[in-house]
Amino acid sequence: MEINPKELELMGKTQSPPPGLVNFFKVEDVFNLARAHSLWPLTFGLACCAIELMAGGAARFDMDRFGFGVVRPSPRQADLMIVAGTISRKMAPCIKTLYDQMPSPKYVIALGGCATAGGPFKYPGQYGILEGIDKIIPVNVYVPGCPPRPEALLAGILELQKQIIEGKAQGRTSPAVVHDSQDNRPAEHKNAISRAEFRKTT
Amino acid sequence: MPTLAEKDIKTWLLENVKPDEFLEKDFKKSGILFEAVVPSGKIRETAAEFLAQGYFLESLTAVDFAECFEVVYHFNRWESPPKRCCVKILVPKEENKAPSISSIYKSANWFEREVYDLFGIHFTDHPNLKRILLPESSAIFPLLKSFKGEPAGSDVEQSLKLIEEDKEGFEIRYPQTITEHQKEYYLNLGPQHPSTHGVLRILLHLSGERVLDAEPIIGYAHRHHEKMMEIQTYQACWPNMGRLDYVGAMSYNFAYALLVEKAMGIQPSRRVEFIRVITTELNRITSHLLWLGTFLMDLGAFTPFFYCFDDRERILDILEMVTGERLTYDYFRFGGLDKDVPADFVPAVKAFIPHFKKRLRDYDLLITKNIIFQKRTKGVGVLSRENALAYGVTGPCLRASGVPFDLRRDEPYSIYPELDFDVAAAKDGDVFSRHLVRMQEMRESLKIVSQIIDKIPPGEITLGKLPKNVPKGETYTAVEGARGLFGMCLLSDGSLNPYRLKLRTPSFSNLNAMIDMVHGCFVSDVVSVLGSLDVVLPEIDR
Ligand code: SF4
Repeated sequence: MEINPKELELMGKTQSPPPGLVNFFKVEDVFNLARAHSLWPLTFGLACCAIELMAGGAARFDMDRFGFGVVRPSPRQADLMIVAGTISRKMAPCIKTLYDQMPSPKYVIALGGCATAGGPFKYPGQYGILEGIDKIIPVNVYVPGCPPRPEALLAGILELQKQIIEGKAQGRTSPAVVHDSQDNRPAEHKNAISRAEFRKTT
Repeated sequence: MPTLAEKDIKTWLLENVKPDEFLEKDFKKSGILFEAVVPSGKIRETAAEFLAQGYFLESLTAVDFAECFEVVYHFNRWESPPKRCCVKILVPKEENKAPSISSIYKSANWFEREVYDLFGIHFTDHPNLKRILLPESSAIFPLLKSFKGEPAGSDVEQSLKLIEEDKEGFEIRYPQTITEHQKEYYLNLGPQHPSTHGVLRILLHLSGERVLDAEPIIGYAHRHHEKMMEIQTYQACWPNMGRLDYVGAMSYNFAYALLVEKAMGIQPSRRVEFIRVITTELNRITSHLLWLGTFLMDLGAFTPFFYCFDDRERILDILEMVTGERLTYDYFRFGGLDKDVPADFVPAVKAFIPHFKKRLRDYDLLITKNIIFQKRTKGVGVLSRENALAYGVTGPCLRASGVPFDLRRDEPYSIYPELDFDVAAAKDGDVFSRHLVRMQEMRESLKIVSQIIDKIPPGEITLGKLPKNVPKGETYTAVEGARGLFGMCLLSDGSLNPYRLKLRTPSFSNLNAMIDMVHGCFVSDVVSVLGSLDVVLPEIDR
């Protein structure tokens, strides 16, 4: 079904939808509106950023104001995953499993430097962490900070709402290997020193 | 009495074990009384004697030298003045084997697994020698000096491999043994579970609702702090200190500042000491408040969470005013602080003190006197003195078992000896006692703050330019963090970065002791025991 570009523009869409027998644009928009305003996040903390996530849920910042306070402990009841903290390599499979267990449509927010790109634990030759959750699951919104303030988290979720309402919340994964020329932290691995020598001089 | 005991162990060592090397140390400069290198065949005998004399195993680690490994044991006693001593054995590289002392000290079980995991040293007769922090299929021993880092992109590769393994090994990872009556089974708690405080996994062996055995599985938040610090300069390690135990980060700042100051032989000004103590105690209150809120939430009470976070935010505002950060502080510097406190600081703290006093009364009325809460927590998860000793438990958990051991009083650092405060203790060792101790500690911290908030003396905030390297040598420092004894063992080769920096974190040993606390409990009590231990996972996994 071809649609007149004028009509598309009116609906806030830039592309024709995939060809189907029948397309319910308006219904889909109504759904999206509902989805955006009833996000159910998964209770899920990995490290320091999770504390700010909790603070976001507490009285002062009160995430519930915007309709995303229904925090669910089970992935099967949640549609928003807030990855809050460092992803260790041991934890990565569990996060993937959790993500796979969530029903679609589902959204992911990478909260903090660690979930975005490895944060302060990234150095050339690191062995413990996964440098960014977008390497294994698609991410919709990145919230920078170490840790981001609860206000930043709120801004991130509002941004996600906007994406959902506009029907653009597909998320993206990053290419597997990013050669990062920016990271110039020295990674001088020492050689072992001789014990006898060490004892002699101390 | 104390001096006698010290003499005892020293003379006992010299007479019976005949150490290969024996060094008396200056406690003020190195943090230990003496250091003995014993033949590795005699370490079990030595450990048994230490246990008999009431020492606990504070830390166990290893150092990689060119010709051999050094396995380093630190023993300490619950008394003042401190009795920390250091015993070492040498493990030749070709042999790579050391005797296990896990049958003597229960805490050695995890410590030895950690050393095996990071260094690849085998402990003979260890009941369960497998990886503890890294994934089981790892092929690296990261703290070896011959390990030069992984190639770029290996993080994704390895994660994908682990995801595959995870799918295949599902049956092995979640064993289902069905016995005749189908009463005994395994239940997997975590690593994603709302009441495991992050990413702890506990494998419970159950009979009906009763716990027969529990195996905590850790390492899901391993962030290679120790390897990172060997690569960074001393100054660049500050952010790590804010992120180890992010709930009570100030104490960790304190420990690192003290450690390097001790090694360099410098002393900060009185003003710095006062500000350090005030911020640390305020941070201790936030840590306990966070614990109180989440602990009660685990037990099913939602309201205290909001109350506690409300008070916590007030303190965070004050600390943010000083440090610029809400959570992961790196405020201290060697010989000083990052910046001076602003003019509003003192009035803000003074306004907070009466408010919080009133709130503490509310908490007591709402929670401590609540009959439902008492029924859930009294007599549950008892930690006996013997187990506390065998597991090396410290902090509020130890004090709840009737041992008033607090480094702020027993191994005083900074200006703590001048302050008037009590060491909170309770005697039953159950979940309720741990609650009482923490409530009391908040009161004591507040007392400390109100004592000195008016007396901050003028003085310099920094010592100016300091050398970038730390003199060669070994230094040990411990402070009382919000969760217990946090120790740092630094081996410096005189260069710009540490040769080896061992972080002895309290929750590691405290969580280990949980294994014995939950025997015979109901599943729901496991949650309350775990909550009462107040563990922070990234601090355990480092
Ligand atoms: S981004 Fe910073 S605060 Fe957040 S988990 Fe990583 S280290 Fe912790």
